Amino acid sequence: MSDATRALSEGVKDLGALAVYRPDFGKQGLRLSAFLPGEALSRAAQFLREKGFTLLDVSTAEFQEGFLVTYHFDSFAEPCRLALRVLLEDKAKPTVPSVYPIFQGAEWHERESYDFFGVIFEGNPNLVPLLLPHDLPGPPPLRKKPDALASFAALGLFGEAEWISPGWPYAPAAAAPDAGEGAPQ
Amino acid sequence: MTGFNFINPFGVSDEPGTYLGDFYTDNFEKKATAGNVILNLGPQHPSTHGVLRVLVELYGEYVLRAEPVLGYLHRMQEKMGEVKTPYQYLPNMGRVDYLNPIAWNWAFAGAVETLAGIEVPERAEYLRVIAAELNRVSSHLLWWGAFVMDLGGVTPILYAFEEREKLNDITQIVTGSRLTLNYFRFGGVGQDGDARFFKLIEEFIPYMRERLKMYTGLVTDNVIFRRRLEGVGPMDESLCLRYGATGPILRAAGVNYDTRLAIPYGVYDRLECPVPTGQPNDCFGRYMIRLLEIEASLTILERALASIPEGPTLVAKAPKPTYKLPAGEVYFAVEGARGQVGCHIVSDGGKTPYRVKLRAPGFSNLSLFAEAAQGTILADAIAILGSLDLVIPEVDR
Amino acid sequence: MDLSLVTFAQILVAVLAIIGLMVANAVVMVYVERKAAGFIQRRPGPYEVGPWGTIQAICDSMKLLAKQIFVPANVDWVLFFLAPVLAFFPVLLLFLPIPFGPYLTGLAVPDGIVLILAFAGFGVLSNLFAGWASNNKYGLLGAARAVSQSVAYEIPLILALLAIIFQTGSLSLTEIVEAQGSYPWQWNILVQPLAFFIYLVSLVGETNRAPFDLPEAESELTAGFHTEYSGMGFALFFLSEYANMLLVSFVCATFFLGGYKGPFLDGIWWTFIKAYLIMFFIVWIRWTFPRVRFDQLLNINWKWLLPLGLINLWITAIIVKLLP
Repeated sequence: MSDATRALSEGVKDLGALAVYRPDFGKQGLRLSAFLPGEALSRAAQFLREKGFTLLDVSTAEFQEGFLVTYHFDSFAEPCRLALRVLLEDKAKPTVPSVYPIFQGAEWHERESYDFFGVIFEGNPNLVPLLLPHDLPGPPPLRKKPDALASFAALGLFGEAEWISPGWPYAPAAAAPDAGEGAPQ
Repeated sequence: MTGFNFINPFGVSDEPGTYLGDFYTDNFEKKATAGNVILNLGPQHPSTHGVLRVLVELYGEYVLRAEPVLGYLHRMQEKMGEVKTPYQYLPNMGRVDYLNPIAWNWAFAGAVETLAGIEVPERAEYLRVIAAELNRVSSHLLWWGAFVMDLGGVTPILYAFEEREKLNDITQIVTGSRLTLNYFRFGGVGQDGDARFFKLIEEFIPYMRERLKMYTGLVTDNVIFRRRLEGVGPMDESLCLRYGATGPILRAAGVNYDTRLAIPYGVYDRLECPVPTGQPNDCFGRYMIRLLEIEASLTILERALASIPEGPTLVAKAPKPTYKLPAGEVYFAVEGARGQVGCHIVSDGGKTPYRVKLRAPGFSNLSLFAEAAQGTILADAIAILGSLDLVIPEVDR
Repeated sequence: MDLSLVTFAQILVAVLAIIGLMVANAVVMVYVERKAAGFIQRRPGPYEVGPWGTIQAICDSMKLLAKQIFVPANVDWVLFFLAPVLAFFPVLLLFLPIPFGPYLTGLAVPDGIVLILAFAGFGVLSNLFAGWASNNKYGLLGAARAVSQSVAYEIPLILALLAIIFQTGSLSLTEIVEAQGSYPWQWNILVQPLAFFIYLVSLVGETNRAPFDLPEAESELTAGFHTEYSGMGFALFFLSEYANMLLVSFVCATFFLGGYKGPFLDGIWWTFIKAYLIMFFIVWIRWTFPRVRFDQLLNINWKWLLPLGLINLWITAIIVKLLP
């Protein structure tokens, strides 16, 4: 882990991260990944914006724990791909603040997640369907059936955690073997 | 109604809602100023290549506001990724961007290989580079022709197709197809090139260099062409950062960022890729960057041909069609012709990936159009749209 | 001029002959243009129908004749159908005063060029009607462009012609031809090269051909003012475009290239050879250059052609006054 990554990791931690991971770049393609509470997202995006990062994409996935919205960032000056994740536990009405005011490109990425998963991005100026028809019947198409849902905490998908906030219940299996199966639903 | 109505003899209704405005137009109209013209460019329009639809609010010929409407070529590639095994899904990557399928091949195959820890033989890596660079040249050539056609010059696209024909003949030898190439396999490539393949590439490189000189004389130095492009649609670094624009657009803005060098994959770090950068950040700069990139690709091809080793083209323990991805997450990105092509796979260890997210460079590049086109003349907006190098299947996925 | 029965019959025969010329011209030019485009673009062009594809243009015109005329909703019915007619028929009159040969003129009026310039204005009116009536925003934008372009480019065109008229001292086309000699160095193109250049640029602008085809700019306005026309309506616009090209080429040949006069033997063939060379030039630049932007188009006109035309006219006037 380089100094720049370490500084970023400290910075993200200061912004109120719930968990900071140190992925293996050769296996995961990420230098850093962190879970954030929804309200810290804008601050973190602003922090990265000032560091010269750009938003690559917003990748949402549905897990047993809730909707996981992953923001991939990269810096053009010093390539350092990292992921910020926000877990939306309220499955009935998943809501997360939009990063549109900081990264205008997020508008379309967020609308795409809104299309596919029904995640609502508060503050997006034009939250209408982007890729799907506006009158598509049925639930958002990428939501999974309850029996097909996996648990990212149980599977330990995101590698080894570097630091975990005390209040974070989804400690990865590797860091805290007991917490894996017993993660609250 | 009695008597013959000269203005409207068939009595077609003029009631609101009978023929005007769909959902997107209505949504767009909410913010429009009264008296301005709202024009629907597309989805069938000569210069929105494919089926892009752009709503523009016009004051005279000035574009006050623009909003691209996507989804006319949406095929839910990401859902397909979830219901097919990686092996079944790989051919789909050729369909995501039909002009630059090799980059998408590489993004997905690379992601799977990184996650599963599959080694790729040396010769296959070089063949991948050769295929990718040939494909990049071919993609830029088509863009070149289509862009000049957007500006009203109809002839160059047919010249570009002549070169593409040669390139198709070359890639056809190893990939077996001419459009939606599916060359990569997990752990290598599908087929080794024969003597004719390498000979044709060696012949193509000097031929293309000659043709590039002709392009300069025919199009680049044309005074009308220059006047149409210079100073039109400037996109600076800040704009690119805010919208996540990558590829030639970013490099024209003066940022020396190319995934091939920044986050090296394959054997690119050994080939010392020349990356042209720092052109003016207007439409002309983006045009020049792409022409220079064709030259750079030819240089990379030369180096790759010079140093390609002998050996197998597919790793011995290559995954079988029933191969299951291990649980985990991976993000893998390559440099396509239009920018950074990314593939984010989340796997739960099951038969099919849990989630496949495709990052299309065209999607991010197009999202800045609304801001870049503000306040330009309609013809300039078309030039800006053309200079973004859009392939709609890739944007819509 | 008394309108006797002989004159009337003469005009009738001339109009019929001109209709024949216009249609034949369109058919031939479509073929020539497509073959020339094919040659420029390194492809064969039409080659399937008839020997070397010669029947292709006739088949295309048959198709256009037989095609359904599609009328979109809420068009202005009268203007919609008036526009193509108005585009086509005034062009007939414009050919009447052209001296094709020493004794071959449809209607030898003493001030023929005034007739041509006056009736040429109908062309832009038809474009305006077509764009306005078809209830289409592309059409409307195309019509707006057509009007400002035609109005702008008519002025330098007239200025260029006026310089020749000053020099010759006559409005009659026959007299203008007679004032020139049989050999290229006796033609007006050498006396008035600037006027010839201005005329050449303006004629491309006036006939809405690339690179000045802004009213129908394909990549911006799909087809501009004739977006909604199909079948015969489109065919009439098409026909009139080629007829207009032919007309400005004939006027150019008459004013600058010595009309029917030429080396060895004066005659109708020289008019046609010269006119079709200019036609080919128009075709050639269409397939070579990208399109200019609309503000650039008007800038070329108002900032360059118009002042140049005025200066040229002043110099001509002074010289004509000083050297009678």
